[in-house]
Amino acid sequence: MNRFKEIGGRVIPGILLLSLLLLSPVQPLSANEWESVLNSSRGTRVTFYGWGGDPRVNSWLDTFVALRLKERYGLSLERVGMDIGEILNKLLSEKTAGKSDGVIDVVWINGENFFAARQNGLLFGPFTGSLPNFRDFVDAEAGDVAFDFGFPTEGFEAPYGKAQLVFFRDAARLERPIGGHADLLKAAKLHPGEITYPAPPDFTGSAFVRTIICDIVGREKIASLPADKDVLRVAVAPAMEFLSEIKPYLWMNGESYPASGSQIKNMFEDGEILLGMSYTPFLAPGKVKTGEFPESTESFVFEKGTLGNTHFLAIPFNASNKNGAMVLINALLDPEAQASKYDPAVWGDLPVLDPARLPPERNALFESIVVGKGSIPLRTLLEKRVPELPATFIPILDEIWRETVLR
Amino acid sequence: MNRDSLRAFLLLAPALLTLGVLFLGSLVPALLQSFGYFPAAGLGEPTLRFYREIIAGPEFVPSLLFSLRVSFVSSALAVFLGTILALLLDETGKGERIEALLSSIPIIVPHTVAALLVLNLLSRTGILARVLFSLGWIASPAEMTALVFDRRGTGIIAAYLWKGTPFVAVVVYVVLRNIDGRLRETALILGASRMQALRHVALPLLMPTLSSTFVLLFGFSFGAFEAPFLLGPTFPRALPTAAYSAYLNPDIASRPYSMALIAIITAIAVALVYLYSFLSARKEERI
Amino acid sequence: MKRGCSLASATLFLFLLALLLPAAVLAVWSFTLRWPWPGLLPRAFSTDQWSAFFSLSGGAFEIVGRSALLAGGVTVLSLLISLPAAKALALLSFPGKRIVEMLVLAPVLVPPISYAPGMHALFLRIGIADSFTGVLLSHLVPCLPYGIRILTNVFRALGETLEIQARVLGASPFRAFFHITLPLIAPGIASAGGLLFIVSLSQYLLTFFLGGGKIVTLSLALFPLVKSGERPAAAVWSIVFILVSLSFCLVLEKGVKRYSSSTETFFLS
Repeated sequence: MNRFKEIGGRVIPGILLLSLLLLSPVQPLSANEWESVLNSSRGTRVTFYGWGGDPRVNSWLDTFVALRLKERYGLSLERVGMDIGEILNKLLSEKTAGKSDGVIDVVWINGENFFAARQNGLLFGPFTGSLPNFRDFVDAEAGDVAFDFGFPTEGFEAPYGKAQLVFFRDAARLERPIGGHADLLKAAKLHPGEITYPAPPDFTGSAFVRTIICDIVGREKIASLPADKDVLRVAVAPAMEFLSEIKPYLWMNGESYPASGSQIKNMFEDGEILLGMSYTPFLAPGKVKTGEFPESTESFVFEKGTLGNTHFLAIPFNASNKNGAMVLINALLDPEAQASKYDPAVWGDLPVLDPARLPPERNALFESIVVGKGSIPLRTLLEKRVPELPATFIPILDEIWRETVLR
Repeated sequence: MNRDSLRAFLLLAPALLTLGVLFLGSLVPALLQSFGYFPAAGLGEPTLRFYREIIAGPEFVPSLLFSLRVSFVSSALAVFLGTILALLLDETGKGERIEALLSSIPIIVPHTVAALLVLNLLSRTGILARVLFSLGWIASPAEMTALVFDRRGTGIIAAYLWKGTPFVAVVVYVVLRNIDGRLRETALILGASRMQALRHVALPLLMPTLSSTFVLLFGFSFGAFEAPFLLGPTFPRALPTAAYSAYLNPDIASRPYSMALIAIITAIAVALVYLYSFLSARKEERI
Repeated sequence: MKRGCSLASATLFLFLLALLLPAAVLAVWSFTLRWPWPGLLPRAFSTDQWSAFFSLSGGAFEIVGRSALLAGGVTVLSLLISLPAAKALALLSFPGKRIVEMLVLAPVLVPPISYAPGMHALFLRIGIADSFTGVLLSHLVPCLPYGIRILTNVFRALGETLEIQARVLGASPFRAFFHITLPLIAPGIASAGGLLFIVSLSQYLLTFFLGGGKIVTLSLALFPLVKSGERPAAAVWSIVFILVSLSFCLVLEKGVKRYSSSTETFFLS
């Protein structure tokens, strides 16, 4: 109820927004109402805050998306690259200080960060039901749309794309394929100092640790446990033991780890490490094409699978341009936009639209995308896709890693 | 208040107002929060528990020692090398032009760029490693000694050295020029050798400058954020890095932990302000 | 005294090389497409990074312009505040002078990490968070100590006698300042100004905290690139940073030289 009071106090964009919000989230907006949202946001600027560590993603947002927004909706897009931890921190400070006109209109978010944002009342919503493209093309009941790391989304975030942890190796130097943790250990022993992973709480590093946990202990055993540090510590002990066992064979003797997935990518490019990982499934083929990665780069997943998740877009509680935010998010759910970013030459991010709801000509957009040499076929990816662990586990597991493996 | 004091107060008012509001006004709430006074998060009871938990935690002491060590080594080395550089400049008489060049490049370059330079040169695939490879001393990046991201903070020390040495050289050179001339001539006329003139005349007169510059470099590097964040190991983290990391905790009631770390950093910095002030006063007495 | 000692010259040369070589490597990185191990030179060169910088969609010019405006504004404001403060500290004695001196010195040693969070909370309450004004004000804290320190030395060296003489001869305080004092301290103002500009331009943490990502300066564009290891792009921004700093210092120096030579001064130190 507090939320409504806050929102009720705003005058701009005015009565329209008020009536929009007072509508039940399940009831779609009438064509007129969405028309009003479009009209009132025309000529305004919408600010998008999200991870800026991939220059190609930034470029896609700055060119394709910005242009499209301008041409179709008269909106100008301002993109700010900032890590989600810092974004949430900013929103938290603003909420504590009572700032009601924030600079952030759209946040790129998911997982434990979405959970933390909801816990602290940092998000506006529910709003997804108001978006025409969401209603038309997204399966709202699907497990990876209705739930984010096991936590209900309840219309407070709209799906943006799907990611999966994918490994890539320089097959010319790391010759034997790696099917799981046992092969990884063998490879590390054969090539000491040339393999590593990002340190949690970086999201790629954190995902790697969780993938190892699932590989060794099994997801089912862990997922049903309570979010208690002591319980989890015991349950994931075999995985932590493995990471400690492999530690001396890693880069820097496992005493230091790269701070982010971006660094891993650059180190792989340099030839400093022979194995890398990324949440963007088609990163490696794209880089081979541009000549940044060696031709012998091959992508792979573990036999038992790797973690996959959906990433989302949300609107902060104090967004100044909530209408513009909804128009932007809706535009990103457009099949053309989704197909554009699916193209590995652009980004390679998997689409979130339900093929069953797409008319055939729009489906064709996706089928026509050629994925590229050395990449994993989409079918394989989806077969080997392991759902994420509950959001509440993530900070706990990150801490356990830091305590048991790092020190 | 006599006339001078009134005049002084008026002249200083803008500066005092600015620093009072922006500087002190920002430190005080952080300090209060560290003691648990944070009404906006529902914390009202003053308590020492945040300090206790932080200090007793497994990362504080390693972080503190790491920061102290890196600052001490980099500042001491910078003072040592900078003095040698200043003496060399004095010796060769090329002073003026080179001083201008030196004083511009590393001082203009910010710490972020200095960190980038260290990465380019000293990382395992950096220029140094590649030169060693071409000389046949190492066969792969993995064989290269870790000079960046290592637990001794070598990369960070290198970055501070690169920035600090020219700074010390310039400061010392200026002082050297001022005191040098007649005093050294006199010593030489009286029969002292160059080395003796250096050790017994120049150096003692330089000491106040050297010690205050050391404190300056130490203090600045101790609290600096960028270089340790970009070049530091995953563990132990430098204190400012640890404080920043703690600050990002999404639980607002955990803010006081980062404030406690910040307060500790501030306290050490303030102690250094006193020390520097004391050493500078001594310098004025000498001259 | 000048013995032309070749050992000293050689050592000096090595020193300078160690200081300047890294900058040369930087220039090479800015034109690199691929520079894999173990090449001593890049395998593939490209001007991609530079053209991306100069392309309009990147917004680079806006960032450079904003950074220069911000640093320039901080410089001017700092000088305006520092001049009277420095005069007081150099020439007057008053109770509590020691404490004032320490307060003025403090921000050099008390780091931005100490006061940035508190300042952010303060600015949120006043309503200047995420604004250009807010960032500008925040930069005053690290800059004022340098400005005051340099100008205090300048005033101390200058002394009061000339200005007093002018006043005795009937000049108003303003005329005495503008026609006597100012020309003489102009070089000092120039060096202080140059340093202030650089200190402001170099600020990362303050601009990040108080600007909230909205106010993007050179440092803010540069930092994430270094952090993730995007060396060609980082090299380009680093070079731009250095050029902007050097340009400002040069312009300032030229400006002051012209000003100094155009005013007639009969008493020079």
